[in-house]
Amino acid sequence: MLQGSISSIREAFGRTLVKIGEEDKDIIVITADVGDSTRGYYFKEKFPDRYFNVGISEQDMVNFAAGLSAVGKKPVAVDFAMFMMRAWEQIRNTIGRMNLNVKLAVTHSGYSDSGDGSSHQALEDISLMRTIPNMKVIVPADAADVERSLPVIINENGPIYYRMGRDYSPPITSSMNYKFEIGKAYVLKDGDDLAIMGAGVVLWDALKAADELEKMGISTAVINVPSIKPIDEATIEYYARKTGRIVTIEEHTIYGGVGSAIAEVVVNRYPVPMRFIGSVTYGRSARSERDLLDYYGFVPETVVKKALELIK
Amino acid sequence: MGERDGIPISINELNKLRQIADKARKNVIKMQFYDHSVHVGSSLSSIEILTTLVFRYIRDSSEKVNKDWLILSKGHAAPALYAVLAEKGLIKEDELWKIQSIEGLLQGHPEVFIPGVDMSTGSLGQGLSFGIGVATGIKMSGGNGRVFVIMGDGEQDEGEVWEAMTHAVARKLDNLIAFIEINGFQLDDSVSEVKPKDFLQDVWKAVGWRTFSCDGHDIKSIVDAIEEALKSKKPAVIFAKTVRGKGFPPIENSKRQRATPDVTRQYLVDS
Repeated sequence: MLQGSISSIREAFGRTLVKIGEEDKDIIVITADVGDSTRGYYFKEKFPDRYFNVGISEQDMVNFAAGLSAVGKKPVAVDFAMFMMRAWEQIRNTIGRMNLNVKLAVTHSGYSDSGDGSSHQALEDISLMRTIPNMKVIVPADAADVERSLPVIINENGPIYYRMGRDYSPPITSSMNYKFEIGKAYVLKDGDDLAIMGAGVVLWDALKAADELEKMGISTAVINVPSIKPIDEATIEYYARKTGRIVTIEEHTIYGGVGSAIAEVVVNRYPVPMRFIGSVTYGRSARSERDLLDYYGFVPETVVKKALELIK
Repeated sequence: MGERDGIPISINELNKLRQIADKARKNVIKMQFYDHSVHVGSSLSSIEILTTLVFRYIRDSSEKVNKDWLILSKGHAAPALYAVLAEKGLIKEDELWKIQSIEGLLQGHPEVFIPGVDMSTGSLGQGLSFGIGVATGIKMSGGNGRVFVIMGDGEQDEGEVWEAMTHAVARKLDNLIAFIEINGFQLDDSVSEVKPKDFLQDVWKAVGWRTFSCDGHDIKSIVDAIEEALKSKKPAVIFAKTVRGKGFPPIENSKRQRATPDVTRQYLVDS
């Protein structure tokens, strides 16, 4: 099944969620007053009895979802990534500790809420969520990846943090045809001299960088690691051994995020030199996510530069 | 409706519940011999409410939506819950003396792997939101389960309580009964010194709850309040006046959670 007819990540999320809701009547969508912005609202239009807006109260939303799951419902709590973090302790102490079947689906992660500025740009959430025992963390690469992975996520038993951006969705996986599995990494491009690994929309820049590196005679693999936890240790080790050097890229802080998760595997199984591309500061306002990615250096040139540091 | 709902409590039952509460009270005090760090004061203020709920109202069922749920949001009163559950036969009495020990079952705060515990708690302010989720899920499924949530007055400082208080009304949950224990103390000081809460009952009422009051150590008073609350077509909250450390004079009505082992021993010998 070829994905990719939708070009916005949140649109893909909202529409796919409705499709899943048709098949499973236990799915309940909850939001903290961002149903419209996240496109969770589409669920209300189709299934008004299975949709709750709890108001601007994230902590309550998380434990409300926990309670629903305790009696066998399948709640999907939908929020901006930034504001889901506000309920981190609730997520940890109720959902994590009781290992409840709650899905935390967030949009507007990274720089994707470009206009609202640093207060709305979640660059720390992957780090926070992957530290919680029982919690799985998934980051689809683009809208097509959302269509492909969301049904699998919703049908998986147990808590999952599912992280999406807003609209920006360059074509990373839309021409690919594969079944999504939790815990698996996917080869976007094979290569022998260097591996670029990461998650999210910045993989597009990684692919462009790989083209540039090929022109320089450097055979470059690009690996999509949508499943941050559990992570595909075998594929990461295989490419560490095969290429001997790794650059990671993520629209997230370099402290504890995707790059760190990959580094933990590499150090344990086959240590190789690595470089990390990610954020180290708060963001700022801009007219588009792309402007911010350019401003903060999430561009092919940065990837090439980091790669050459390892190649020389 | 539960099978006891609406049936006036008899003198015999009242005496039986009092005996159970007395035994649980003594066992909580005894538990601090085995682990001095348990929260005795907060536990002793909850004994009669827990006894009444567990022995008169909570109905069990293998179906999650047809059972009653007991959520101890003020999770630091776990010793009281364990002592009452032991009287009910859900926990072996020997386990009480192993509370908080590495090989024991009973954790410092409630965990769902302990028989009779419906929610893992310990972090204040979270129980009511969870209870709203359970009560909503029960109604959506057409179940007959009810949800009882026990909170403290200090716990009302938490913002999530406000979030949940206003939420329950929006859901029109008539299968949810909250208790707020007014024992007047929190960790550092008296509640009135930290953040006065004389207005609390008015706030809950203004938001849309049916509010009731009771003496949280008088089982007849607790039963009367619950009976009225069960008739409510809106979420109901029972403000239960309690005494921290009730029945244990060395710490009674103070912010102190526990007495020294010698003082405790003397008390148990004398009583």
